[in-house]
Amino acid sequence: MIRVENLKKSFGGLMAVSDVSFELAEGEITSIIGTNGAGKTTLFNLLTGHIKPDAGEIFFKGKRITGLPPYRICKMGIGRSFQKANIFPRLTVFENVQVALMSWGKKSRNIFLASRKLMVKETNEILESIGLGGKEHLKAGLLAYGDQRLLEIGITLGSHPDLILLDEPTAGMSPEESQSAVKLVQKIAKEMNLTVLFIEHDMNVVFGISEKVRVMHIGRVIAEGTPEEIRANQEVQKIYLAEET
Amino acid sequence: MMQAIEKGKNGLSPIWILAAMVLFVSLPLVLPLSWLSLLTEILILALAACALNLMLGYAGMVSFGPAGLYAVGAYTTALILVNTKLPFWLALAAGPVFAGIVAIVIGWFCVRLTHVYFALLTLAFSQIIHTIIFGWYAFTKGDDGIVGIPIPILLRSIPSYYYFTLSVLAVSVAIMWMIVNSPFGKTLQALRENPERTEFIGINVRRYQLAVFVLSGFFLGLAGSVFCGFSKSVFPAYAYWVKSAEMLVVCLLGGIHNFLGPIVGSLVYIYLDEIITDFTHYWPLILGLVIIALLLFLPGGIAGAIAEKLSVRGKNTMKAQRYDSR
Repeated sequence: MIRVENLKKSFGGLMAVSDVSFELAEGEITSIIGTNGAGKTTLFNLLTGHIKPDAGEIFFKGKRITGLPPYRICKMGIGRSFQKANIFPRLTVFENVQVALMSWGKKSRNIFLASRKLMVKETNEILESIGLGGKEHLKAGLLAYGDQRLLEIGITLGSHPDLILLDEPTAGMSPEESQSAVKLVQKIAKEMNLTVLFIEHDMNVVFGISEKVRVMHIGRVIAEGTPEEIRANQEVQKIYLAEET
Repeated sequence: MMQAIEKGKNGLSPIWILAAMVLFVSLPLVLPLSWLSLLTEILILALAACALNLMLGYAGMVSFGPAGLYAVGAYTTALILVNTKLPFWLALAAGPVFAGIVAIVIGWFCVRLTHVYFALLTLAFSQIIHTIIFGWYAFTKGDDGIVGIPIPILLRSIPSYYYFTLSVLAVSVAIMWMIVNSPFGKTLQALRENPERTEFIGINVRRYQLAVFVLSGFFLGLAGSVFCGFSKSVFPAYAYWVKSAEMLVVCLLGGIHNFLGPIVGSLVYIYLDEIITDFTHYWPLILGLVIIALLLFLPGGIAGAIAEKLSVRGKNTMKAQRYDSR
């Protein structure tokens, strides 16, 4: 699905991402863990075109996407969510998802149609699937934080991605909300055959749903494997898990 | 379920639209010519302000230089009418088209910047247009302006030009209404709310910003062309920053997040100007106080405040729904 080769990015003298290479298979749910400043979000920003790498290559479905702008990468099938709820606060919940769907359906440039009649069924289906059915008429900025995070996932799904990158999807959520969000991600990934790559600090979440875990430290991937292998990895325990305790 | 969305936040019922049309069409029967002339000026300013608000209120792009494109429209029409034998209607159409073309060039540079830098660049381009008009005497007659612009006999009376302006405004507003409620308009609103997120749903932000810049420029040029026919003269002041500030104030006065805000704003602005200048020469001082009061007490503008009052019931319902959802 996606192949990353020797990706590098530095900011001034700080090497944020250093020689990172990995590959994701279709339908895989993979997580990236690491301490703060390990380079996880920078890696996401590189994969989605938010920033350009200094060196290295990224291939998606066999096509080179290195350095392409975010809107083109999104059109190719990579969606993302952000660390903090990144929504359209003064649009309604319905409109938040609808604008993403209209973009995917190549309707965004149309000035002759009434938007309220477009993608209604598809929008409601996504809202139902993320548990926001019945709240579609509310201004998105008025939603509770947990719902805003869900809405962000809904916006991402509106782009009909094949690969979704979720940056700390449960950050700021209560334990109950986190649990339901995790179940939701699992359910959606299965139903839509999505490949999921997510950054997460909550180890219960990470080991609960990941098929594979990658550990980043000071810009490098220092370990990768199944959750059991990562748990047993002594370097990871020393560098990362020890810090957690 | 979809009721709230279908009604729209600026939901205009057909009855209100019909009532407004009847009112505006019948005004020449009751108003003296001086007031009708003033009303024509209001309609033209309303068209310019609505055009600016496409960018300002719907795409979140604060332009300090809308007067530049307004003047391009006005001078294009004026120069064609004075120097050629082309019919008025063609000259009138050329104004917005040429303003749109100029907007493509200016916008190409401006949309590369954001926030205050975008605003200052639009101001800079507007001042460049002003300087060209002012300095190129052989072509534009500089500070003397172009006077005595010929217009068709049909439009020479004040009531007929009022009806003509009203028609242009009605058609333009209908088109702008269609734009803001289209998928393109909805995407612009998303862009206003969160440009970064918009890019991550597959939208080329700069291209959309340029598109709305050009659309806005087209209608600003149209307003300039119509004003050229109204005043039968054009002057460099049309492109000066003071004119841009006037359009911005009109939008803020009426409310930038309400579709009808700029129309209400132009009505109040010119009416206040007319009334206050009868009593004092310190109109700018009063205007300043009005703006301060507005920003402090009516941040959504006059139309915004009225809409809020009218939708109190709706908001209470919304609060109840929020409460239920917790």
